[in-house]
Amino acid sequence: MSTHVIGLIVGGLFGAGLFLGGLADPDKIIGTLRLKDFHALRTIAVFVLVGMLGTWILELSGMAHLSVKPAAILAVSIGGALLGIGFGLTGYCPGTGLACAASGRIDALVTVAGMFIGALVFILIYPAVVQPIDAIANYEKVTLPEITGIAAGFWVVPIVVVGTIALILTGKKSENTGLIQAEK
Amino acid sequence: MEDLIVKKSPLPWWAAGLFLGLVQVLAIGLVKPLGVSTQFVVADAKIIHAIDKEYADQHPLISGEKYQKFGYGWWLDIGLVAGAFIAAVLAGRWKLRANTVWWQVTHGTSVAKRFIFGFIGGFFILLGARFAHGCTSGQFASGWAQLSLSAVPFTVTMFAFGMLTAYLVYPKVPKIER
Repeated sequence: MSTHVIGLIVGGLFGAGLFLGGLADPDKIIGTLRLKDFHALRTIAVFVLVGMLGTWILELSGMAHLSVKPAAILAVSIGGALLGIGFGLTGYCPGTGLACAASGRIDALVTVAGMFIGALVFILIYPAVVQPIDAIANYEKVTLPEITGIAAGFWVVPIVVVGTIALILTGKKSENTGLIQAEK
Repeated sequence: MEDLIVKKSPLPWWAAGLFLGLVQVLAIGLVKPLGVSTQFVVADAKIIHAIDKEYADQHPLISGEKYQKFGYGWWLDIGLVAGAFIAAVLAGRWKLRANTVWWQVTHGTSVAKRFIFGFIGGFFILLGARFAHGCTSGQFASGWAQLSLSAVPFTVTMFAFGMLTAYLVYPKVPKIER
């Protein structure tokens, strides 16, 4: 199967998961960022934990196709901050913005239009602004196990175990007791 | 006028998270980790190549092969749109709307206001995502799956600025279906 077809299938499953899981729902995202509705946060946490565990198992069996991004600390920090501002303003990110537009949200379509302009400005300022910043504190494509010398298993297993316990312990509380009362 | 209550998601958090995690494992097992935002640059790069080939060919970023072809990542984004559309229809949740519950409880029903800030937000989202070499998918979810060092500063600044912005923009809390 060509990678194009695989991309289409994987993307289809991803888009369906984002929608059905409430990540492609700006109200759920803002609820999480405001610490009033933990559904999206919990979904994201399970997403990351399962992904981490599965990727580790794939790696051990020599079947992982990894693509580690360069740790350009300054550029990544600035980028995270800018994305965070847009994320907190709209409740969308690139993937969920596209998914929300596909589910009938016209405001998401407007946000996606803004994204194309953001990409254009990125291209235009890339040589003069982005490249110099990207070179600062750049540790290249490195993972936490590589830079610390601590094997991947000693990261993955504790994170997954602690994360799972935390999700279970906090699960009942956030769902049943009405921990967060609606104001207004 | 929509009911101003945040509805439950179609799937519970554990099922959705498990499903998304398995999609990530599938992606990494077959081709490459999940990522979305690069393709916005690819689409723009295609247009620039068509308009001003000389500029594009000398550009340190978009002269690269990765930004000149519609590959796996492009089709992943197309699939994402199709998958979300089909899921929304099948779940009976496809609905034309232009505003959100959280926005309306603070800012009222003006769609124009939502659009203006939505557009500005989109601009920051993609500009930031490319500065960071990835977005919430490619840098956060895939970054942590691979234990990338880059995911650490990204997570800190994205959530700090995301929470601060949401706190300032959305002070009033709507009813949330539990």
